[in-house]
Amino acid sequence: MANQTGRASAAQDRLSQVGDHITATGSQIPKGRAALLEKGPDDIVVTCALRTPICKGGKGLLKDTAAADLLVSAFTSLLQRSNIDPALVEDIAVGTVLAPGGGATEFRAAALAAGFPVTAAVKSLNRQCSSGLQACVDIANEIRAGVIDIGIGAGVESMSTQYGPQAVTEFSELLESHKEAANCKVPMGVLSEAMAKSKSIPRSAQDAFAASSFQKAVEAQKQGLFDQEIAPLTVKWTDPKTDEEKTITVSKDDGIRAGITAESLAKIRPAFAKDGSIHAGNASQISDGAAVVLLMTRATALKLGQPILGKFVQASVVGVPPLLMGVGPAAAIPVVLAKTGLDKGEVDIYEINEAFASQCLYCINELGLDQKKINPKGGAIAFGHPLGCTGARQVSTLLYELKRRGEQVGMTSMCIGTGMGMAAVWVAE
Amino acid sequence: MLEFRTQGYNGYSVKYSPFFDSRIAVASSANFGLVGNGRLYILVLTANGIAAEKWFDTQDSLFDIAWSESHENQILTASGDGSIKLFDISLNQFPIQSWTEHAREVFSVHWNLVAKDTFLSSSWDGTIKIWNPTRAESLVTLPTHSCTYSAQFSPHNPSLLSAVSSDSHLRVFDLRTPASASNHLTLSIPTHTPPKARMGVAPPVGIPPSEALTHDWNKYRDSVVATAGVDRCIRTFDIRAPGAGPVAVLPGHEYAVRKVSWSPHLSDILLSASYDMTCRVWTDGSAMGVGQQGGQGQGQQDPMVFGNGRELGRMGRHTEFATGVDWCLFGAEGWCASVGWDERVLVWDVRAIMGP
Repeated sequence: MANQTGRASAAQDRLSQVGDHITATGSQIPKGRAALLEKGPDDIVVTCALRTPICKGGKGLLKDTAAADLLVSAFTSLLQRSNIDPALVEDIAVGTVLAPGGGATEFRAAALAAGFPVTAAVKSLNRQCSSGLQACVDIANEIRAGVIDIGIGAGVESMSTQYGPQAVTEFSELLESHKEAANCKVPMGVLSEAMAKSKSIPRSAQDAFAASSFQKAVEAQKQGLFDQEIAPLTVKWTDPKTDEEKTITVSKDDGIRAGITAESLAKIRPAFAKDGSIHAGNASQISDGAAVVLLMTRATALKLGQPILGKFVQASVVGVPPLLMGVGPAAAIPVVLAKTGLDKGEVDIYEINEAFASQCLYCINELGLDQKKINPKGGAIAFGHPLGCTGARQVSTLLYELKRRGEQVGMTSMCIGTGMGMAAVWVAE
Repeated sequence: MLEFRTQGYNGYSVKYSPFFDSRIAVASSANFGLVGNGRLYILVLTANGIAAEKWFDTQDSLFDIAWSESHENQILTASGDGSIKLFDISLNQFPIQSWTEHAREVFSVHWNLVAKDTFLSSSWDGTIKIWNPTRAESLVTLPTHSCTYSAQFSPHNPSLLSAVSSDSHLRVFDLRTPASASNHLTLSIPTHTPPKARMGVAPPVGIPPSEALTHDWNKYRDSVVATAGVDRCIRTFDIRAPGAGPVAVLPGHEYAVRKVSWSPHLSDILLSASYDMTCRVWTDGSAMGVGQQGGQGQGQQDPMVFGNGRELGRMGRHTEFATGVDWCLFGAEGWCASVGWDERVLVWDVRAIMGP
């Protein structure tokens, strides 16, 4: 008997010795779609992804709710839905752009208020419009590196309460004297206008793209395709007509408008230049919202019995000229495709943030992507772009849609103010 | 292409007899060599294909074999239980000698081609041992302190031997040096060293160390050794310039390379067998006239490529890991045999798979 146990362990030794010959290490990560679809215990998986409804900035149903309160609500819903023991969550990263002081203090407080014990660490981070994605990637990397086992990537923005000129510090003379550095300050609308002109994207094409975003979102909302990802919340809201404070439950995005066509958009006056092409109807809406993504390794998820929505595969981030901020996705997507060995045709759905119809359209054309695969449930033009929230919001939008269609490989990407692009590959399971 | 099935046994190594052009030995193991018996096949090439002339069953898996250079009927086996056995194929069933000094799996055996009264073995226990078939104990033990997958005598010098191991190093031992604290070790080359930077070319990126699984001495250039392993690249080194990095780097295999073997006929040609189920034939670019072709389209080449070497063709008929290849020493240059975990021995002509 003793002899037999000895044999079994010898066989185990041999197996691991020979296994080491073919297991990939470091730079030798297997590539290609087939490799991505393989499931391993070390995969970083998403076991819960949800968001609050996204509401119009300034006049929507969340206009009186502070960013931290949105986050508390998203955290509470996450704890309820995932049923995870809050004591197991070791780190939370929250992407946000406009919060003064980066939001570090109130987000830590929000985590505590939502029921996380003091042992759950919290950080806030700001990579402009990709903050939410960056938060998810940071947490995934922490898990991959063994810093933590379970974490939450989140994003939040209350543009109603925090949007405005105070969000950017005055540039020093030194920065102003450097041409490319000074370009970082050019307002998004102005530079997108210039870019639309220089890349010759006509207004008609932009309006058509924007109208289709609205139409897709209306249809998706009608079919209830957002219901799975949205966690309703109850907030206090002051009716602007009567100044009466009411307690309401918000469960739907309120920026989605029916009946928008390219023709109706064609009537709107351009916002940034008289002869311009960009206007309120073909740019992203100013909005409020929060989104959260629960991440852990597959081994942990299986141990805890957490349902697996999908996995995070790889991300890329690249810089582009500040004045061509909008080309970010066109620069970042090929990098992450190369890293993962995917062909652009092998991605089933692309969630590319619609900061402006012009830049989104440019990226799609530049990369030669199939229009049908882009933002199938509409995008930021239709339901809004709460800056820090968007990157985390795309994860739930993408994974639930992939799952519904029975597809697998998805990409989230966005352009980033001051000239950057970020992209990430996800696999739904 | 000729084929033989080693039913129930997964091939680990194949060797042509140095005495007969029609005799091939195969080391094979049940259950992929993880647990169970081993079997040594003696195959003969006949007008009607390959036939098993004889086989010997062993208690534990067999990982390598080496024909005796002094006796046409004798052959060594390297076994998973740490033993080395000498079989006489004119007898039946049992080995005529057995040595059990290694503490772990013996992964390679090699007969000295010059001083034909010695052979060596290398083991996962981190040692190389040198033996005389008439003696019961080993003559010398050389430590590598690392799982040693492959060791060989130089085909040009009876006192020179080399080994590659899981610590990513190629070691060269010279038995003429005094057995001091260095244990005859004269050279230790990290095989993952990137090639030296050249003028006008971006410096090569650093490569992490990875297990070296196989190596072979060139049969014509007495200072050239090819190594390969887990990082999927084949490299050639000139041991006269150990610090200069590889002379050629040949990437292309999609998984670890299990065996490399220089041609006995052409100084620049080598064969490889890999976990990616292919056997490939390469030139290291040292032969005249080969370089020009490789130089073209440098832009699209794998950035790992170094030197003028390139792949000349591949044989993809194995349906599992290809673990061994060996060249036939006789007849028309180009015949070789390969084995794999698909329980098959294939005998084929390299010239048939080479491009124009």
